[in-house]
Amino acid sequence: MNAPLFRVVKREGGGPLRLAVSYVAAVVLALLVGTVLLTLLGVPALTYYKGMFTLGIPGSRYPFKQVEGFLRLFVPLLLTSLALSLAFRMRFWNIGGEGQFTMGAIAGAAVALKLGDVFPQPLVLLLMSLAGLAAGGLYGALAAWLKVKFQTNETLMTLMLNYIALYLLRFLGETKGTWNFFLSSQSERPKFEKFPAGGQMLELSLGDFHLNLTLVAAAFICAALFVYLRYTKHGYEIAVVGDSPNTARYAGMGVGRIILRTVFLSAALIGLAGAFYVSSAGTLSTAVTNDVGWTGIVVAWLANLNTLGIVVASLLITVLQFGSQVAGTSYASIDANFADLLQGVILFAVLAADFFTRFRLVGRGRQEGLK
Amino acid sequence: MKKLLALALAAAMSLSLCACGGGNSSGGSTSGNAGGSAPQQGSATAPEGESDGFKVGAIYINSQNDTAGYTFQHHNGITTAMKNLGLDPATDLLIVDNVKEDYTAVSNAVDTLANQGANIIFGISFGYIDAMNDKAEDYPDIAFSHATGYMSNDTNFNNYFGRIYQARYLAGIAAGMKSLEIGNNAIGYVAAYNLEYAETCSGINGFALGAQSVNPDAVIYVNKIDTWGDENLERQAAQALIDTYHCGVISQHCDSAQPQLVAAENSAFGCGYNSDMTEQAPAAHLTSAIWHWNVYYETAIHAAMGCTDQNGKVDGSHFVDAMGGNAYYAGLAEGFVDASPLNESIAAPNTQAVMDAVRELIVSGSWDVFSGVKLSYNIGEDGSVEVVQTEAPLMSNGYELKDGEVVEMANPEIVPAGGPSVDDGVIKGSMNYNVAGVVTG
Repeated sequence: MNAPLFRVVKREGGGPLRLAVSYVAAVVLALLVGTVLLTLLGVPALTYYKGMFTLGIPGSRYPFKQVEGFLRLFVPLLLTSLALSLAFRMRFWNIGGEGQFTMGAIAGAAVALKLGDVFPQPLVLLLMSLAGLAAGGLYGALAAWLKVKFQTNETLMTLMLNYIALYLLRFLGETKGTWNFFLSSQSERPKFEKFPAGGQMLELSLGDFHLNLTLVAAAFICAALFVYLRYTKHGYEIAVVGDSPNTARYAGMGVGRIILRTVFLSAALIGLAGAFYVSSAGTLSTAVTNDVGWTGIVVAWLANLNTLGIVVASLLITVLQFGSQVAGTSYASIDANFADLLQGVILFAVLAADFFTRFRLVGRGRQEGLK
Repeated sequence: MKKLLALALAAAMSLSLCACGGGNSSGGSTSGNAGGSAPQQGSATAPEGESDGFKVGAIYINSQNDTAGYTFQHHNGITTAMKNLGLDPATDLLIVDNVKEDYTAVSNAVDTLANQGANIIFGISFGYIDAMNDKAEDYPDIAFSHATGYMSNDTNFNNYFGRIYQARYLAGIAAGMKSLEIGNNAIGYVAAYNLEYAETCSGINGFALGAQSVNPDAVIYVNKIDTWGDENLERQAAQALIDTYHCGVISQHCDSAQPQLVAAENSAFGCGYNSDMTEQAPAAHLTSAIWHWNVYYETAIHAAMGCTDQNGKVDGSHFVDAMGGNAYYAGLAEGFVDASPLNESIAAPNTQAVMDAVRELIVSGSWDVFSGVKLSYNIGEDGSVEVVQTEAPLMSNGYELKDGEVVEMANPEIVPAGGPSVDDGVIKGSMNYNVAGVVTG
């Protein structure tokens, strides 16, 4: 028999410290690659990195605005990643975050535009959140129902549903008509209507800093999910179904019901993130997701589906995204493509480090290494 | 294997220590060397950053490193204007690129530019409109300027666009002359959109009127593809115009040179857009309607640089005053738009002379395209051109776009004979009909 050239073997031991060290080493290696590229482009790398990791905040003109802008990107990514991890724990590959986010955004916008000046602001915001939850949740549950009922492949289903949502949003954004209340009636050229004041997210003024309430809500949801997954029966059921649906069935769990419930919750939270996002912006846009449905998948895996890890990972990813935009402004040669490239190198290095911390490669001649 | 990895890790660790140490110790000196190009440097340098000099901020829909297209044109315009005004784009231009038409994305881009000391911020895409409008209030001392939009305020926020329909009228003359010469009245027009946007619609109308001024029997067949930037569709649309209507000249309002290439492949002729496309299709291309964005950018940056408070500090709150209004809408007269140099080797005889005569007429301000006066030309044996002005109503082809539906117009007469030009607001914002002689397929 031909033995494979090498095989992947799980490592023994390897505590969190070792993982942390290898992550840091990976980031440093990636930054060194970046330094070479930056130097080739004639950009002082240290200055660039400093701007990137401090978000250009220290000593700048409007530091609080930068923090607010950072949080506007952070909250949707955090919520989406948390929600995705729920489904992933159950080995339900929900890659429909983009679509669920979009549906939540559309539903939230519909409520804001229709009821924004009818009800008081807190009630409108609550209704928008509920609409976002429902729209995202049902959209995700559709794929879950098809899987439970007909054993369809959820990866394909959620992926396809993304495009339906995306094109629905584009249709709403480009099609003028008396029925289309999403568009501004003032503008001759199709443009999304701004929400009435009632549909815009509340902000707490702390001096110069305006704390968007979605951050508070996200923190609360994060804590609730931590408890939900760790200390409740539901959380336990999710873990068992993820490990082995047959075991779950044998133990008398209603696997279909658990899948439906969990995917609904996952998708509903993503829809909520969408509703939060549009209420913070005060309008819809065709680029409303900022790709969080995709980035959230990376975040969830970087964090190994750990709730606290997701907080850290989504913070770091947002620092990368926001920081590289801030740092690149003064250099014509640095555009968003370079920022994407650098982010890609960093993420790739970290994921590789993650892999080599958990596993090792055993060559053909080292069979004795196997158990 | 383990040893190898451990070694690599150790190496990486020591490197990381070096890097961190280097970062802390040499950070100060680096910022000293590169202070000019990095206003976000440490706290002590921030006030210097503000007094560094005038900074231009730009928000682009694509990348400044593009080699063609919309962002490329604007970036070129901004850098050219800055050089003319003695500013160095390498140090005085701050860019956030690839910004989608999303409120949050645009707000963040504005915040970043404001934070780094931009004194004027240009946004080049229509969808930036709401965020720029709101942010102009947040930063009253920064000038805001939005291309293709219609919002503005009375102090620090204006919008800008150009009378590209004037340039298209000139291109229409070249197309009309060619259609007369080849004896084919069918002229094709590949359009991203038509009645949906005043910009595309007024462009088609300007071009049609120009063609009809030399060839009253010319028919403009419009094939719209409902999207920007799709080269394949642009190509197919041009081919369909030739196959279906046997068009002998192909004009365009879309991004790529594909329609001109198709014209060349079919031994037809064409008029391009945005850049001189003679280079791509020397055997077919007559002239293009083109922009000189630097004309606006130079005017705007110059005006913003001159806005200072009593302490001599740049203060954008007088920007609108300095620009003489909050909606910049310039044309041939200012040199903001023009027809690219005529491809004399294939253009019909006397085309240049007619175009020059009309250009002169428009620049003088005594006549404009969408008025109740039609032009025709007496061309002498010696090539001299006499422009004849005849009072005649400006007629639509009978249809308009209302609430997403094309409906019959109650009154197809747009301007009565001898009447004044259609209002600028209509040309820029709400024109939703085609003139007589335009056929939409």
